[in-house]
Amino acid sequence: MVLPTFQPLRIPRFFAVLVALLLILAAATADAQKKVLRIAFRTAETGFDPQRVFDRYSVGICENIFEPLLTYDYLARPARLVALTAEAIPEPDEGGTRYTFRIKPGIYFADDPVFKGRKRELVAKDFEYMVKRFRDPKNRSPYEWLFENKLIGLDELTEKAKKSGTFDYDAHVPGIEVRGKYVITFKLKEADYNFLYVMAMPNVVPMPREVVEAYAADTHAHPVGTGPFILKEWVRRSKIVLERNPYHRGYELETRYADPTDPWDRKVMDELRGKRLPALDRVEISPIEDEQPRYLAFLNKEHDILDETPFSFIHQVLPNGKLSKALEKEHMNVFPELQPEITYDVFNIDDKVLGGQENPVGGYSPERVALRRAMVLAHDRDQEIAIIRKNQALPAQTPVPPGVVGYDPALHSTEQDPDPARAKALLDMFGYVDRDGDGWREAPDGRPLVIQYKYNIGGQEARQLAELWAKSMKAVGIRLEATAVQFADLLNDKRVGNFEVAGSAWIADYPDAQNFLQLLYGPNTNQSNESRFRLAEYDRLYEKSLGFPDGEERNKLYREMNRLLLAYAPWRLGVHRIFNHLQYPWVKGYKKHPILYTNFKYLDIDVPAQQLASK
Amino acid sequence: MTAYVIRRLWQMIPTIAGVILLIFFLFNWVGGDPAQVLAGKISNPEQIANIRKQLGVDQPYWYQLWVFVQQVFTFDFGRSWSTNEEVSRILLTRVGPTLTIMIPVLIIETSLAVLFAIMVAYVRGSLTDRGIMITCTVAMSVSFLVYIIVFQWLFGFILGWFPVQGWSESFWKNLTTYAPLPIMLAVFVGLAPQLRLYRSFFLDEINQDYVRTARAKGLSEKKVMLKHVLRNALIPILTNIGISLPGIFVGSFLLEVFFSIPGLGREIITAVNRSDFPVIKAVTVYLAVITMIINLLVDVMYKYVDPRVSFK
Repeated sequence: MVLPTFQPLRIPRFFAVLVALLLILAAATADAQKKVLRIAFRTAETGFDPQRVFDRYSVGICENIFEPLLTYDYLARPARLVALTAEAIPEPDEGGTRYTFRIKPGIYFADDPVFKGRKRELVAKDFEYMVKRFRDPKNRSPYEWLFENKLIGLDELTEKAKKSGTFDYDAHVPGIEVRGKYVITFKLKEADYNFLYVMAMPNVVPMPREVVEAYAADTHAHPVGTGPFILKEWVRRSKIVLERNPYHRGYELETRYADPTDPWDRKVMDELRGKRLPALDRVEISPIEDEQPRYLAFLNKEHDILDETPFSFIHQVLPNGKLSKALEKEHMNVFPELQPEITYDVFNIDDKVLGGQENPVGGYSPERVALRRAMVLAHDRDQEIAIIRKNQALPAQTPVPPGVVGYDPALHSTEQDPDPARAKALLDMFGYVDRDGDGWREAPDGRPLVIQYKYNIGGQEARQLAELWAKSMKAVGIRLEATAVQFADLLNDKRVGNFEVAGSAWIADYPDAQNFLQLLYGPNTNQSNESRFRLAEYDRLYEKSLGFPDGEERNKLYREMNRLLLAYAPWRLGVHRIFNHLQYPWVKGYKKHPILYTNFKYLDIDVPAQQLASK
Repeated sequence: MTAYVIRRLWQMIPTIAGVILLIFFLFNWVGGDPAQVLAGKISNPEQIANIRKQLGVDQPYWYQLWVFVQQVFTFDFGRSWSTNEEVSRILLTRVGPTLTIMIPVLIIETSLAVLFAIMVAYVRGSLTDRGIMITCTVAMSVSFLVYIIVFQWLFGFILGWFPVQGWSESFWKNLTTYAPLPIMLAVFVGLAPQLRLYRSFFLDEINQDYVRTARAKGLSEKKVMLKHVLRNALIPILTNIGISLPGIFVGSFLLEVFFSIPGLGREIITAVNRSDFPVIKAVTVYLAVITMIINLLVDVMYKYVDPRVSFK
């Protein structure tokens, strides 16, 4: 009898197939169990070279790939600095002009072919290189101002580079002293008690020199940092995928500064207790510019979080200020956030606009100040909040928003509250009356009074605000003409003083009042001081305030500066906007931070709940 | 024919020169200063001057124009000012998604429009004809944006037939999952005007003497309509397709923005918002060249559709 020859092979083949199937099944199950967060960004990113980007979404990605020396505690409110790659927060030495950081040993960059298989440790030299990159003219860093006129000898190096065309990264800068592998000291030209905040900014982060040099042609596409995530996939302006950095050391949630009476803090602590962070395996980000698809994609459970619910859908999401029944049924969470930002309108205080044309709102004479103050009083801010902002805003009382160090909640003045009757009385008193009976007021010297307002052509909200300006002014007899201009032109016009009145906004770079009050500092004219406000007393107070750390002495100076702002009215204070962030119940550990752009490294996902809902 | 094609190619040179001049002057006179956008929140005039120098926009106009001409003829538009990505790469990666949407739209829309137009023309004056024409007029009066909002809400969200938005790396997944809703939408919106136009082409032909002769000869209605009327109406139809053909390469920016399709239309809007001149230049020149080539091809095709046409 002849035995079939294939018979002995059957069993191993069967097992091989079985093992293969099991492996495939295991891989599929592991994939299915992966904690993936899906989220949309409101605008497209530009790139991930931290020293070369400034838009909040690009910086938001950098925040997850890189790590600064310091950061903010996740739960503490108001925002509080904590050490990240530094061993501790340094004390300011020599009257706030010297800061020494000790870097934690054993922090490694994510793997990259440039390192040729070796682990690359984070060292003090990386921070020296980073600071120099900000000042290299070739990088045209949008955040160059952070280190401009700041560190001893650095400005001179930049000047040399402008002349020679090459920045000497190996040159010694007296203001940056590296000692050994882990110690770096920054020596400042003048006292700056906010320097620590600068060192916590998400783009003040190191990228190894060898990586920058290897990918010099496109550093935006090769971010290599020590952060909790790596850039796994990037389809520009379409898809960004972050994956957990296997080299990251991991950490646990710090609860030292949490408020146990705060329900969000309690929830976060319950959800993240004992967990090693980052908990997410993967973050998938899609830039979606338009509001409807972003909102519908979230409702369709294509995304887990809706960052900043569009104002146009606020009545569906929060009818009468409460989460709608439909969303409540989904056990959705809403986090209302009063962002550390302010919207405002700028009056050009120069007597003449660029080109020599008379500026009817400029100057410091009593009648010009009266005109500006009357315009502020005539502006219907209540309508702005109710209709344009859909009640998702608070009226600003000072240039400093709540949640920022130096904000004074007791400060309230009626000078910026809408009061058309007072506006009319003020105009009458200073000779702005209708002389020819055409229904419009003339200037005190009898010349026609026509005020030009410039706004961004691209924004619906900007157009509505312009219409409200014209309507409010018409109600008190002031003729205001609104002109829409290109965004880039508006930026330029405001920078060089080619405008009379224009809209503006500012969001905190760091949570200190100085970041807002510098917007009216005289020497910042042609930079951030768009109103070109140059008042010796204000400048004196501002300069004096820089020499003080946070405290009552400094707050007193801030109050005085605010009083001058209200008196001279170089701004119409607008609002502090409230943004509502929605999350599905399977998103764990959520709390929006006022300064950090993202919170991916603190989030977790309940995968079975997420998968069940997707079905 | 060769002489005709050479003559037409030769005529493209002054057209391209006109396009170059137009884009250049429009950008410099109407477009915003890119340095202002790139400078960030706080910058001084010196930093802005540094950015302008690096971008080359501080050079004399004649020099910038010369650089532009060189770029056109070397097909090298450099890198994007805002993202530092190579412009050629931007074009190559963005044209695929645009064509994935626009080619099916063109094919489906043209086929349906021709089919419906010939049917409606055949029953001209009837209740069906009038009803369809009124529906078309009403459909044409509604904004494209309204259609997008309603379709996305209804088919994407309420009925859940398609995803609300999205795009993947797989061509088949895009074609079968993400593209159907925008394609359906574009076809729906484009059908009404096309149908009205093509109906008028068919009616023009139906009233011709040769049609009466064909019928008198006893040819069947099917033969009259499909062999004689359709063939003669194809010339204006072809012209119309030729005119709309270059549009498929830039797509519909509204569709791309609303459905998160990483196509050229969306890229152009981003480039305009960021004053990213290298991208704007490249797309405009490339579109002008495509338009001219397609026009030439359509003209050549006339010869095959209508033997009476000759190249002179």
